[in-house]
Amino acid sequence: MSCESSTPRVSDGVHRDRLRRMSSLPPVRYQLEYPYTRTTGPIVGAFLTALRDGKLLGIRCGSRVLCPPLEYDPASGETLAPDFVEVGPGGTILSWTWIAEPSRKHPFAKPFAFALIRPDGADTAICHAVAASGPEALHTGGRVRTQYRAERRGAITDLYFAPEAEAESQYIPPGKGAVEMTEHLISLEFSEPLSPHRERYARALLDGKFIGQRSPASGKVYLPSKGYDPIERVQMSERDDVVVADTGTVVAYTVITPVQYYGQKETEPYIRASVLLDGADQPLGQQDIRTIPLAEFRSGLRVRAVWKSRAERSVVDVDNRWGGTGAVIERWEPTGEPDVSFEKIREHNW
Amino acid sequence: MPEEIAIVAVAQTPARRRYADSEPSMLMELTNRLLAETGLPRSAVDFTIAGSCDYLSGLPFAFVSNVDGFGAWPPVYESHLEMDGAWALFEAWVRLQMGDIDIALVAGSGKSSPGSPREIFPLQTDPYVAAPLGLDPVSVAGLQARALLDAGLATERDFAEVVSRSRRSGLSNPNAQVKKDVAVDALLKEPYYASPLRKHDLPPISDGAAAVLIARGKRARELTKRPVWIRGIDHRIDSHHLGLRDLTDSPSCRIAAKGVDLHGGPIDVAELCVRYSPEEIVLRRALELAPGTQINPSGGPLCGHPVMATGLVRVIEVAQRIREGSARRGVAHAASGPALQQNLLCVLEAS
Amino acid sequence: MAERCAVVGIGQTQYARRRSDVSLEGLVREAALRALEDAELGFEDLDAIVIGKAPDALEGVMMPELSLCDALGAVGKPIHRVHTAGSVGASTAISAATLVESGRYQTVLTLGYEKQSEGNATWALGGGRSGSQGAGGSFAPWIRNYIQRSGAPEHIGWKVAVKDRLNACNNPYAHLHMPDITIEKVKESPLLWDPLHFLESCPSSDGAAAMVLTNAAGAKRAPRPPAWVIAHAKRTEFSQFPGRDTVKPVAGVDCAKALYQKAGITDPRRQIDVAELYVPFSWYEPMWLEGHLICDENEGWKMTDAGETEMGGAFPVNPSGGVLSSNAIGASGMIRCLEAASQVRGTAGGCQIDGAKVALGHAYGGAAQYFAMWIVASEPEPKYR
Repeated sequence: MSCESSTPRVSDGVHRDRLRRMSSLPPVRYQLEYPYTRTTGPIVGAFLTALRDGKLLGIRCGSRVLCPPLEYDPASGETLAPDFVEVGPGGTILSWTWIAEPSRKHPFAKPFAFALIRPDGADTAICHAVAASGPEALHTGGRVRTQYRAERRGAITDLYFAPEAEAESQYIPPGKGAVEMTEHLISLEFSEPLSPHRERYARALLDGKFIGQRSPASGKVYLPSKGYDPIERVQMSERDDVVVADTGTVVAYTVITPVQYYGQKETEPYIRASVLLDGADQPLGQQDIRTIPLAEFRSGLRVRAVWKSRAERSVVDVDNRWGGTGAVIERWEPTGEPDVSFEKIREHNW
Repeated sequence: MPEEIAIVAVAQTPARRRYADSEPSMLMELTNRLLAETGLPRSAVDFTIAGSCDYLSGLPFAFVSNVDGFGAWPPVYESHLEMDGAWALFEAWVRLQMGDIDIALVAGSGKSSPGSPREIFPLQTDPYVAAPLGLDPVSVAGLQARALLDAGLATERDFAEVVSRSRRSGLSNPNAQVKKDVAVDALLKEPYYASPLRKHDLPPISDGAAAVLIARGKRARELTKRPVWIRGIDHRIDSHHLGLRDLTDSPSCRIAAKGVDLHGGPIDVAELCVRYSPEEIVLRRALELAPGTQINPSGGPLCGHPVMATGLVRVIEVAQRIREGSARRGVAHAASGPALQQNLLCVLEAS
Repeated sequence: MAERCAVVGIGQTQYARRRSDVSLEGLVREAALRALEDAELGFEDLDAIVIGKAPDALEGVMMPELSLCDALGAVGKPIHRVHTAGSVGASTAISAATLVESGRYQTVLTLGYEKQSEGNATWALGGGRSGSQGAGGSFAPWIRNYIQRSGAPEHIGWKVAVKDRLNACNNPYAHLHMPDITIEKVKESPLLWDPLHFLESCPSSDGAAAMVLTNAAGAKRAPRPPAWVIAHAKRTEFSQFPGRDTVKPVAGVDCAKALYQKAGITDPRRQIDVAELYVPFSWYEPMWLEGHLICDENEGWKMTDAGETEMGGAFPVNPSGGVLSSNAIGASGMIRCLEAASQVRGTAGGCQIDGAKVALGHAYGGAAQYFAMWIVASEPEPKYR
């Protein structure tokens, strides 16, 4: 992939060069994490309640018993009555696979098997984990038994299986109440290098400068740039970089009253504004203003960036997608110049 | 009377472990190439539709920036599916059959490099009974592989032969990421990873993008001397519940094959979404491909797997062979979900 | 030559902050089964299914067509999933309509849903990071700009909030029922994103909405009056570029023009009897009245102020209560399309606008950059005023 001229070309050689020149700022790391809470409805709820209580349930569907239970007949789509049947604890392996290097999300940290297991009394198979001494302990047609974790939450992870010969006898005291909700903490990590233009942008921020890119096709200055001019559909390169002033005009703002949610660090209201820097053709968004009182803040206000000391500047939060200025700006302060009229900034509303 | 729709231009990036370029940047390059090849201005494209998946990059709404790649100024008629670009091709093909517009741009793109696909893909499974187990597609493919062995429908050597042949085919594909000449016996010596699968039975992790321009009849003939006609597209899905499925077969493929009249003519080339080597065996059976059918001359996804573009790349590989004249009629297959749960077939033919 | 498409079945769930009585499958089935029942059809009659919803991270379920296909009777059939941010519900309805209009499929189930109580919408809208401004925080500056451009008095937003919540009291499915809401209460509610007050903002809801679409032959067999799809249009522009008008986006204007042209509508204000507009924050009512050429620039707030958008007014907007009363993000656009269809079928119950024959369903999404709209009518060839 080449971005060196306005006539795109693909060349493996160029691509490798770009990889070599790629960022020596650390890669952007981010996490997508949320503790999802799922209400189960009556069928899944009954199934998970039974797991908590050390039992495996199926549901009657015509002449068959389905495990795990479904809310509907898979053949017709008709809603099923909650006609549950206890199945297992024994079951038969219908297929299996030995996982030599478990992932962090698997039920076990040491090697184990996933298997399709038909519990005794059921006509369908459940896919679940089998803890076994080794792959030699497993074979299609082999017998397994349900096992339950010591700590159970009314979740599918309360359960696992073991080969009959290795299974433990367990006494599972029943819990109280019906499980109506189950939790799943989903946590994913991502890491990608800063793309070349974003690396230059981030480095400039560390130097106390704003770098935008001027489109060779339209002459418009994009800040922060995405590395291309989307209107003319032209890739941009280092030679399109331009320094943009650190003074500008507030063109839009709101006051954010933080909503509390998992991972939220904000607690107090603050102004979030967009600033059209002098020399840029589109506003720089998501500038948080915490030192100018709301009564003195307005669109049209002339402001300048006050930079943190070099040692305190951080671009850890600069990434390839969002705008943002990391943590390099201490605050924005009014310059004292007269306001810019609404008509002049009307079209820069972002 | 269904409209005749043809592919008039194709473009793909090579599959690579990691691209420095953003997804929109890759899409911009492909869009520019398609427009340059056909001499069309952006405004001549009536409908744009893309496939991509936010979860690959871990950013809700990631797909929004991809619009930068296609161009949306002046504003455009476009849509987006959170699916492989092959399904976007389906929607574009259906849309053009309304007869009121002529040209559509279709794309698929994805960067799998930032995240861990093994940890992301379990989120495709039942959120109550499967996802919390981290049930990933490799593990499910292992179950499918064993089912094939148990049923006597395949041997481990058969799996290795698919890998050996595919990766060798990749040597002649400039877009392939993983390509090598490796003998079956050497492959069989490798340890299991998700038995009976070995690491080489798995696709690589790739970044990449693909795009095509399609057009209706008369317009297609104006835009290229060698239109590749889409004779049929059909897609079907099997049950999500693994315990209800026969993993050795693909009922959805069988239905789709009838839907596209797959065997209504010779199949000179088949590009199948074989991410795991046993999938080729399932697909060959379910599609009733004659022995000796040329399968995945590109090397297929075992050589490069730009998730969300992989299916559309299969269409492109068939289309290119038809344009070059090495095939007259072929089928491209796209898949989604664990163990080939959902399948799309696209039959292409020369004029 | 395109086939005709008609809505012959409509189904919605009860919308609520948290539907604690159902699983994901249960939620979507509730809407799907109601739509099928309304059409007097079964899953076996469906040729294809088209679902749509907002980002998967809202529920933490990736590509849910895979895990929901059985519940929707889609096994062995084509199913695909549309994703166009907030406009998705309408984009999904349009995608399904094109399946019928192509002549390729006869009867299609289309459904939009969100079970966002499982996650957190503000978290998801902020990409999972701290400091999310949510949707309101993104739109608030543009709303301020509209107020400044148009000279609208501050109470307009409050008026919309009251109207839509009182309308919702006629809608048994609506999430918010606020019969005691007043202008004062809205004004005094906390400022969330200046200038938007809490009571001017949409709730976060769980819910699903579905329609059965079919061709002319299917419409003839339908047990209840069909709503004929007259026209649909979608337009998209970039989120940000130099000089972008975020207040009256060109994509919104272009979408409306394309829609009206296809529908043969020359005077939308007179010829459309009722509009379900996507108004998640109160001020978007006047903004879309202008933004979609129903009235001239700076006149939208006057329509609201004069009561024209009330149920008894000359141009009723959101008799269902709108997004301000129920907002399961993936469903909201579908609900606008579905409510428009209900109006022209005469099945809107307490929300019915008498004599409604031509209705507009609308949705927008992203940074007010995605637009999807449709016109439905009681006749296949409506005679406009």
